[in-house]
Amino acid sequence: MSEPSLAALAGVTAWATVAGVDLVSVPQGLLSRPLVVGALAGCILGEPGTGLAAGVALELYALDVMPVGAARYPDYGAATAGATVAAAGLEGPWAGGPALALALALAWLGGLSLEYLRQANARAVHRRAAALATGDPRVIGALQLRGLARDTLRSAALAVVAVAAGAALARAWPMTGMGSTAAAALTIGLVGAGLSGAASGALRNAGRGLRLRWLGLGAVLGVLLAVFR
Amino acid sequence: MRGVTRAVARLLALQAAWNYERMQGIGMGWAAEPLLGDLRASDAARHTAATVRSAEFFNGHPYLAGLALGAAVRAEYDGATGEQVQRLRTAVGGPLGALGDQLFWAGLLPGLAGCAILGVTLGLPGLAVGGLLVTWNGIRLATTLWGLRTGLREGPLVARAIRDSWLTDAAQRVGRLAGLAVGAAIPAAAAWLLGGLTGPAGLTALAVGAVGVLLARIRPAWFTGLRYGLLLIAAVALLTLTGLGLGGRLA
Repeated sequence: MSEPSLAALAGVTAWATVAGVDLVSVPQGLLSRPLVVGALAGCILGEPGTGLAAGVALELYALDVMPVGAARYPDYGAATAGATVAAAGLEGPWAGGPALALALALAWLGGLSLEYLRQANARAVHRRAAALATGDPRVIGALQLRGLARDTLRSAALAVVAVAAGAALARAWPMTGMGSTAAAALTIGLVGAGLSGAASGALRNAGRGLRLRWLGLGAVLGVLLAVFR
Repeated sequence: MRGVTRAVARLLALQAAWNYERMQGIGMGWAAEPLLGDLRASDAARHTAATVRSAEFFNGHPYLAGLALGAAVRAEYDGATGEQVQRLRTAVGGPLGALGDQLFWAGLLPGLAGCAILGVTLGLPGLAVGGLLVTWNGIRLATTLWGLRTGLREGPLVARAIRDSWLTDAAQRVGRLAGLAVGAAIPAAAAWLLGGLTGPAGLTALAVGAVGVLLARIRPAWFTGLRYGLLLIAAVALLTLTGLGLGGRLA
């Protein structure tokens, strides 16, 4: 695998920033889904297949997440970008394992950063409580736009960390001997964990009614597709 | 009423200032501003009070928040008391949250994501990813616009309009599609990622997945896919660093 150019890494960083802002702030249009992030990050790096593989694997984890209200949830956008950079730079059939491991750590970190963002927004609102009580629309607008700016900064910082970590991992991970064996174990184990996440999320959403039967029917069709294709 | 297009555009950024104090309140106030413009000209004092109310605590589903926004703005123009407007926002926020979560986060999102995963595994990545984005955003935009218009039309009667609308029925139908699509996508994704399900890699991944599902059934609040994955990473790191196991057969 060839090393990605700085321009390509910058492009992936910019894309991951957009994805991060999409998750919570604007436009919340699924740009932050792993499959979407991975597909475009792979194209930017000239490795569309690698990006899709990272995207599909992490999409399984994302299917476990319900981004409701005040719940804390992982941010898989920058994580997928970092995983794509790492996987594109690693040699061998098990390159996905270390990349997925990095992505999960980054997704957790992204979730943590969302928590800090919400607290920073709360502090800003608290500070401007008296001004808000005057009914001046400019105060509301300023709070809203500063919230957006904070999220953009958060997303950009996370994107830089993710892409840098992905590039560093691709250089540092030895794909021979124990490094290769650990990569294989990680690939299989983390795809398995992704399957458990997606299945658990699907079972939770299905409950015990008619939807559970549709889920079962889908699983049978999926297994047939996987075995006979 | 003027400002509907601007309000819809601002609703796309409803959660930009999301916080634990007012949740979506600031975003609601920002989206309400273009709609309250006519009130400023006719009754400045009422406009000020309405602006303050518009940015107070609100929590609902971001895609359906237009219903609450429109209803509250209509109530402001109709001369409802501040207390009535507040009660209206509180009364519709909860049901909109539950309905929106059911329709979008637990229904349409996994359904479309499952279809997209299947599309990728079938060798149609462009169609899969493009279809996911176009379908989702088309439905989302149409729903936001419909919600705001319905809220503005119905005002305090918006709860009845929600009950009689397509939302509940759609949530149930979309839920079935989601079950089918995700059910099919999970094994298809595993086979695509690992080059089949019947080899050692595929069978091991299925076994790891089955254990994870079992653990998640026992401790659903704690045992997410992410935490399970992080535990596995720790286990692999420990085995690798101590030189135990991992004899290389997997590769």
